[in-house]
Amino acid sequence: MLTQLHLVEQNLNQVILGKSSQVRLALCCLLAEGHLLLEDLPGMGKTTLAHALANSLGLSYRRVQFTSDLLPGDLVGMNIYDTRSQQFHFQPGPVFSQVLLADEINRASPKTQSALLEAMEEKQVSIDGETRALPKPFFVIATQNPLFHAGTSALPESQLDRFMFRLSLGFPDKQAEHLLLQRDSSTSRLELLTEQLSAEQLKTLQAQVPEVTASDHLLDYLLSLVHASRHRSDMLPLSPRASKAILRAAKAFALINQRDFVSAEDVQQVFPYVAEHRLDPASAAQESRLSQLLLQQTPCRI
Amino acid sequence: MLGQKRLLLIWSGIQFALLVLLQQAFAGWVSAIFLLLILYRLFSVLQAKRPVSLLLVNIVAGIIAVGFFLQLKQAGVLHFMLQILLLAATARLLALQHLYEARQLVWVHYFLLASCFILHQDMVVAVFILLVVLANLYSHFRLFSPASARLNGVQLSRAMLIILPLWLAMFLLFPRLPPFWQIPNTNVASTGLSDNLDPGSIEKLVQDDSLAFRVEFDTGLPARQLLYWRARLYEDFDGRSWQVNSWRKDASRNRYSSRINNNNSAVQRYRIIAEASQQSGLFALATPVGSSQNVFIAASGMLSSLKPVSQRLSYQVSSVLDPIARLSEQEQLMNLRLAPGNPATEQFAHSLKQQYPQPAALVQALAEHFSQQPFFYSLTPPRLGANSVDGFLFDSRTGFCSHYASASALILRYAGIPARVVGGYQGGVWHPQQGYLAVRQREAHAWVEYLDNGVWQHFDPTAAVAPERILNNLDSILPDDERALLYAGWRQLEMLQTLRLQLMHLDYYWSVWVLGFNDTSQQELWRNIKQHLPTIGYVLLLLLIVGLLGGVIFTVRSRKPSHDHLASQLLYKQLADVLSNKPSAQPISSYLRHVAKTHPAHYEWLNQVITLYEQAVYQNNNVALQQLKNVLQRQHTELRDLRRAIKNT
Repeated sequence: MLTQLHLVEQNLNQVILGKSSQVRLALCCLLAEGHLLLEDLPGMGKTTLAHALANSLGLSYRRVQFTSDLLPGDLVGMNIYDTRSQQFHFQPGPVFSQVLLADEINRASPKTQSALLEAMEEKQVSIDGETRALPKPFFVIATQNPLFHAGTSALPESQLDRFMFRLSLGFPDKQAEHLLLQRDSSTSRLELLTEQLSAEQLKTLQAQVPEVTASDHLLDYLLSLVHASRHRSDMLPLSPRASKAILRAAKAFALINQRDFVSAEDVQQVFPYVAEHRLDPASAAQESRLSQLLLQQTPCRI
Repeated sequence: MLGQKRLLLIWSGIQFALLVLLQQAFAGWVSAIFLLLILYRLFSVLQAKRPVSLLLVNIVAGIIAVGFFLQLKQAGVLHFMLQILLLAATARLLALQHLYEARQLVWVHYFLLASCFILHQDMVVAVFILLVVLANLYSHFRLFSPASARLNGVQLSRAMLIILPLWLAMFLLFPRLPPFWQIPNTNVASTGLSDNLDPGSIEKLVQDDSLAFRVEFDTGLPARQLLYWRARLYEDFDGRSWQVNSWRKDASRNRYSSRINNNNSAVQRYRIIAEASQQSGLFALATPVGSSQNVFIAASGMLSSLKPVSQRLSYQVSSVLDPIARLSEQEQLMNLRLAPGNPATEQFAHSLKQQYPQPAALVQALAEHFSQQPFFYSLTPPRLGANSVDGFLFDSRTGFCSHYASASALILRYAGIPARVVGGYQGGVWHPQQGYLAVRQREAHAWVEYLDNGVWQHFDPTAAVAPERILNNLDSILPDDERALLYAGWRQLEMLQTLRLQLMHLDYYWSVWVLGFNDTSQQELWRNIKQHLPTIGYVLLLLLIVGLLGGVIFTVRSRKPSHDHLASQLLYKQLADVLSNKPSAQPISSYLRHVAKTHPAHYEWLNQVITLYEQAVYQNNNVALQQLKNVLQRQHTELRDLRRAIKNT
């Protein structure tokens, strides 16, 4: 199954050119059952990545463009009175899909944002007192414009925390962009992506992640990183949820790298993407100053 | 940096302290110029003015330097050099602009502070100089430290502890060289007995509580009535006062080896630490027969130093408690000369002479006369007329030791017995705990020597009048009102008195152990070390063992149980040289991968190590741990090569 996952990765790299590490991290996030926050300027390929992921995993995919007048009902769905049957029946919103692309999440009102984030955490939504489970797997890829853009309202720390990874694709290098221009048909390529990994297989893989071994010494190292953030005034402390997320991400990363144990390098690889937006919510996604600081100042004895 | 007001203030303060310390080397107007320069600097610092332009400072300093040069003759080269140095420092401070200038300034301060010891060796002054040095050191530290740096007390004391043995070794082992230059005589008034003894001069001395000298006895403390410290011989009498003969002054410059009349007498050996008196005359008991190199014995058992005592002087003397031998016929005649006046005394002397033809009997009779007749001992004798001795003997009958000595010597001369007045000190305060006798100016005394049977016999008329003066001290025989005269004002405060005493003892140790540590003491130290070499060796061995044990215990105690995984411990031990360059935040396997990449020759086995290590540490695989051990053992030579390769890069 891992080979299929690597085929997925190859496919993605065909579409998102020159961003193999980000693609791998995105897959890693997916495997770790976390949600992904992509922060970038418009036109950097955020939507393409989300779309490509959904396509190649054979998942149902919905896209919601967040605007300031988007209401929670528009997202989770609502009970509509059917005059013919004279009954209310539930009209599910776009959130009932396996991959939800929440585009420009920081354009929506806080109320809508929090409705989505609740769904992300609980993996279920309650409408008119009725709880409805979301499909499995449920993977939200939210994109947001950098905060300084007009008409954005920043996600509060508590909600940023719900995203396991925050990534930034960044500009492609010259070679990749040259290739991109040469093809000039990325959408058609996106359609060409075939399902390489079924939803069932993905579930199996996701179930393997917790089985990856993390030795006591590795946990000690991870904790020393987390604890280092708790005695400093220049960053927010990392919560236990954050340390869980780091471990889960590292395990997923190890799995992608075909190992059944987590190494300190895995932790170091994922740490900036998992920790930075928790250490400093106001930071931009491209930077990882505080997490790098922690990595450099925490001795690693293993 | 130089905008720092505090540093400028510190330097101004240091220069002011230097001016005070070097005061002796400067004439009044020189001091005034320095004071003006320093005050101007202080003023400009406080008013936050800009430093004076370099050109102006150079011109002013040049003019002042020319002025100094013009008085080079009077000041002497050494003082001139000190003046020029201090001028350089003050002028530099006025025009201070750059960092390197400040560094120069700090060094000049060190030098000047060191040269203060040419003029002062006093303990209190030494402590003061030390404080100023510390201030300079602090400014030095500030020059080089970032502004945010703070003095770390722990670090500071550790540094001091480290330097302490070196400091002690420097003090003990550094060769004591003779001075490179002649220290010019300072124009400080001489203290102690003068060459002129008039009836009032000793009374003045007795009210002076300052120290004259201290004595340590190698051969126990002699009886109190033997403690007559001879300092001056007064042989010229002009009818009123006694003077030291000019021949005697010349003779005191020449060495004179005295013959010991009989060898039966016990030899007293003692060490005297004389305070600075600016005179060359020194003190000894009875007949000195030997002394240390820095002093010599002149005619008639007088002790003299090579040059006026301008610093505390320590010397060794051995004396025989025998009367001084007659020097020459000439000396005998000199001590028979009379001055006109005092007819009543002359008459009294003649009648005594008729009654007692033998000198010893006559002296005995004279002593009895003083003790039986109503003679009084007083610090405040009434004024005497033209014939002072007549007035004293037959009229007032109240006087001080100099009155009695003067009158007795004159009576003896009228009776045809050669006699002279001896000035010196009698007694002293014995400090049993510290083991020394402190002789103060208060102990100044005058007595008589008369020639009988070829030797100068000792006669103290005061002992006849007031024997307690000799057996105890001056205080005991004076009435209360006169005692109050001795302890004027603050001296009566008991606490201050004890404090002063403690300070005096401290000062004693300072002069014995610090100032008195000369090349002789150094040689003695070496001799002692040689003598006790086995003992010292054992002690050092013991110390070494104790130190090693302590070190072992300390390291065992401080070694925390390692929390590292066994595999990590193994690698840290076996690959210590390789992993010593590992950034502390980097995982071992990641670093080894980097090493493997940079040293392709070792790629294979390192990769094996990495794989096994990861299995061992991340999966707790004990088989992998065992294999890792085996691999490391097998790759012994490779490991050595790698170590060498890393060292070479």
